Amino acid sequence: MTFPTLLADTNADFWFPIQGSSFAEEVDWVYDLILYISLAFFVPMMAFMVWCLFKYIKARGTKAESQISHHTTLELTWSIGPSVLLVWMFVQGSISFLDMRTPPEGSYDIGVQAFKWGWNMDYGNGTFHPELHIVKDEPTKLSMRSTDVIHSLFVPAFRAKKDIVPGRYNYMWFKPTVASEQISDEALAKLKKQSEGATWDYDKVHTIQTEDGERELQVTPEGYTFFDLYCTEYCGKNHSEMQTVVVVHETQSELEAWIKANSSRGDVSMEEWGELLYARRGCSGCHSVDGSKLVGPSFLDLFGSQHALATGENQLVDENYVRESIIAPKAKVVAGYQPVMPSYKGQLSDDDIASIIAYLKSISANAPSQPAGAEAESEEESAE
Amino acid sequence: MSNATLPAGARDPGYPTERENYLTNSSGILSWMFTLDHKRIGLMYLIGVMSAFAVGGLLALAIRLHLLDPNGWMFSGAEANNIYNQVFTLHGAIMVFLFIIPSIPAALGNFLVPVMLGAKDVGFPRLNLSSFYLWVFGALFFVTALFSSGLDTGWTFYTPYSTTTDTSVILATLGAFILGFSSIFTGLNFIVTINTMRPPGMTWFKMPLFLWATYATSIIQVLATPVLGITLLLLIAERTMHIGIFDPEFNGDPVTYQHFFWFYSHPAVYIMILPAFGIISELISVHSHKHIFGYRFIAYSSIAIALLGFLVWGHHMFTAGMSSLTTIVFSALTFTVSVPSAIKVFNWLATMYKGSISLTTPMCYAISFIFLFTIGGLTGLFLGTLATDLHLHDTYFVVAHFHYVMVGGTLIAFLGGVFHWWPKMVGKLYNETHGRIASLLVFLGFNGTFLPQFVLGSRGMPRRYATYDPEFAFLHQLSTFGALLLGMGLLYAFIVLMVSLVKGRRAPANPWGGVTLEWQCTSPPPYYNFERPPVVGDPYDFHNLEWDAENERYVTTEPERKLVPESTPEEVPAHAGGQK
Repeated sequence: MTFPTLLADTNADFWFPIQGSSFAEEVDWVYDLILYISLAFFVPMMAFMVWCLFKYIKARGTKAESQISHHTTLELTWSIGPSVLLVWMFVQGSISFLDMRTPPEGSYDIGVQAFKWGWNMDYGNGTFHPELHIVKDEPTKLSMRSTDVIHSLFVPAFRAKKDIVPGRYNYMWFKPTVASEQISDEALAKLKKQSEGATWDYDKVHTIQTEDGERELQVTPEGYTFFDLYCTEYCGKNHSEMQTVVVVHETQSELEAWIKANSSRGDVSMEEWGELLYARRGCSGCHSVDGSKLVGPSFLDLFGSQHALATGENQLVDENYVRESIIAPKAKVVAGYQPVMPSYKGQLSDDDIASIIAYLKSISANAPSQPAGAEAESEEESAE
Repeated sequence: MSNATLPAGARDPGYPTERENYLTNSSGILSWMFTLDHKRIGLMYLIGVMSAFAVGGLLALAIRLHLLDPNGWMFSGAEANNIYNQVFTLHGAIMVFLFIIPSIPAALGNFLVPVMLGAKDVGFPRLNLSSFYLWVFGALFFVTALFSSGLDTGWTFYTPYSTTTDTSVILATLGAFILGFSSIFTGLNFIVTINTMRPPGMTWFKMPLFLWATYATSIIQVLATPVLGITLLLLIAERTMHIGIFDPEFNGDPVTYQHFFWFYSHPAVYIMILPAFGIISELISVHSHKHIFGYRFIAYSSIAIALLGFLVWGHHMFTAGMSSLTTIVFSALTFTVSVPSAIKVFNWLATMYKGSISLTTPMCYAISFIFLFTIGGLTGLFLGTLATDLHLHDTYFVVAHFHYVMVGGTLIAFLGGVFHWWPKMVGKLYNETHGRIASLLVFLGFNGTFLPQFVLGSRGMPRRYATYDPEFAFLHQLSTFGALLLGMGLLYAFIVLMVSLVKGRRAPANPWGGVTLEWQCTSPPPYYNFERPPVVGDPYDFHNLEWDAENERYVTTEPERKLVPESTPEEVPAHAGGQK
């Protein structure tokens, strides 16, 4: 079908983002179908109205040329005639919809956990990451759950969207057709240097020298170009910041290499890994590190301090308490806070939890017997 | 030209004496607070809904100004996102519950329904007054919610967000609950009034189309609003007692809430737009001085919309995870409801054809209504179609679509109606030139605001975002500038009306050349409307009207009917070719 493809292409730049999945072409085609049918009605109707205005605006008191009150045949024609077009739209839309609703057998399955206000993609074997990494031309199915309120996962480039409703699993799938590019290591090193100390800004447009000349690109901290992924069901304060990115790898082995690199601590220090987990696994949404009160208590100077619990008791924040609070957050709730934190049981390895504890120690003045280096770091943090 | 050129026997009711005029026949604040006169209640409603609109409109401007910059321009600091969320929630809730739903039926409807029926008042005048006070109480609840801890759930109160947020959900839902009763009372009153109080000669198919639209609206108000009441009570029960119906933490299902909510709120969309259709049918016919084309099709399509409107609520939940079959059935039903709306637009265009159009201010609004509502209706097709809806759902495309219907449709029709019946309501003529300029500004500003949002949406910009990605900045800025123009246009229109109160010329009984009964009593009408029920014929028969240029008014040349027409109705109805 060359005709529809042609229609979709001519408008791709104005109406739509890039066509990044196998759905995009279909959806854009249906969109254009409706658009052109609508214009075919709208333009003549408005032209007729304007013509009537030119022709029949008369001085006051002039009688109308005709007082015809109805014309049954004409009215039946315009009542029933356009229905054929409506049926066409409905059928086209439903056919494509069924494709979009039915994941093919053997799709690559990724777990998605949505929370206020972030994403956590589960790649299996204890590997979690806020970015969605998938493989080009590989049908990918997302099994999605929410730990708090309703969210909705939307990738405009894929023309795919599905709500994530707490208390049930919702599924969606797509087949990406355009792979992300990766900028050269030197270029990435330069960008890293520029943004040192600050959190990575995905939306920042960098001018990067590539093989095809200078280009304006947005990249992930690992140097991949990406597609935006938005939450589209209103979920509270930072709904508009509940965004992440989709990176499409060229081959399965590339993805596996990426998963491996992100699966465990490797040879980074425990404090650094803990800090990374703090940013990546959604802690930062509710716990500040600058002492300000968010949904949960701040992590600054937390470790080693005394907490008043909601039950009235006092609790020393030590290794065991932190561990318990991660695995069973509702067991001992700090006074003045709501028991809203989801459990991370089974989602963090022992090493991960130990790393988070190490990180908490590193930013607490109350932590006993700190190594000197960590103390310096903590001062830096509080200075910010 | 002098009166001599008018045929003998030309009639005009003249002007009311101060004793007769409903505005002046009694005075003092109590004579308004405890009035049972439907016209005074309608006027109080008009002031009420216009105030609500002003608040909602200022909130809308705040939204647009905040979105001038990708990181938020208007509000700043750590709570910027929270403030934005509260502002868009209150904008939606105030506009829907306090403005659009009561705007045409309660404000204009209250004034017009009895007069169009040649009746002295509505069926239950006390119920009518109580519905106004319920509106006031509901509004107070909203204001209290605004000044206590705000409201940040969106006007839809989706669970489980609404059962867990710290803001004043209970106050606001109680407010909406009370407003629901106000709406039910009005609907009930109109059904009774139209069923029982039609004057001699006014058969169902001799009713003005505004009454058909009001009747269809009232049916929806009476049947659907109780479901909203139940839903909101259940929501309050869930929030306070955790009864476990909507909140998954207590084994409830949030999607159940959405079904409950949209079972009311989709028909409510037709509560908002059907009366607008009624107004446009009157405006187009009167200002084209031509019989409305296809009366029966327009009348039936109002009823069809009212009934079909109950079957399509599921299209708000295409992405929520209903079964594929349910989703497809809802999509099919959604398409059926587009047919009756299209019929009306075709009929209005045909009415203008070969008419004698006066480009008055109300006609300017009627024309912009046709333009804007057609866009609003056609863009609905993109959302009713499943494949495209999955992409467009909860993006700015939806925002643009429903604003084209609610603002481009209902608000514009409301303004057209206010300008059309203003001389009748207050007895003053406004400045036509300024009225037309204001309507042009509103038209341009509205398109400037919402046309860019279609493109924003199809390019993937999600709605209800306090901040956004920089690639959307240009279109957002266009939209904001459009909104400023729209705001100025609306303010201009308001000033035109206010100036007319002070400096306007005295309005004749029939300034536009309408045939419906409200133009047969003085402007403003006497407190008793009609001494006795008038005998009526076709509400769109313009043969017996003449323009009296000397006094700038239309006069009736037909001798007053004193008796019910003697001819019995044809056995074969008109649409089957029975009547000439």
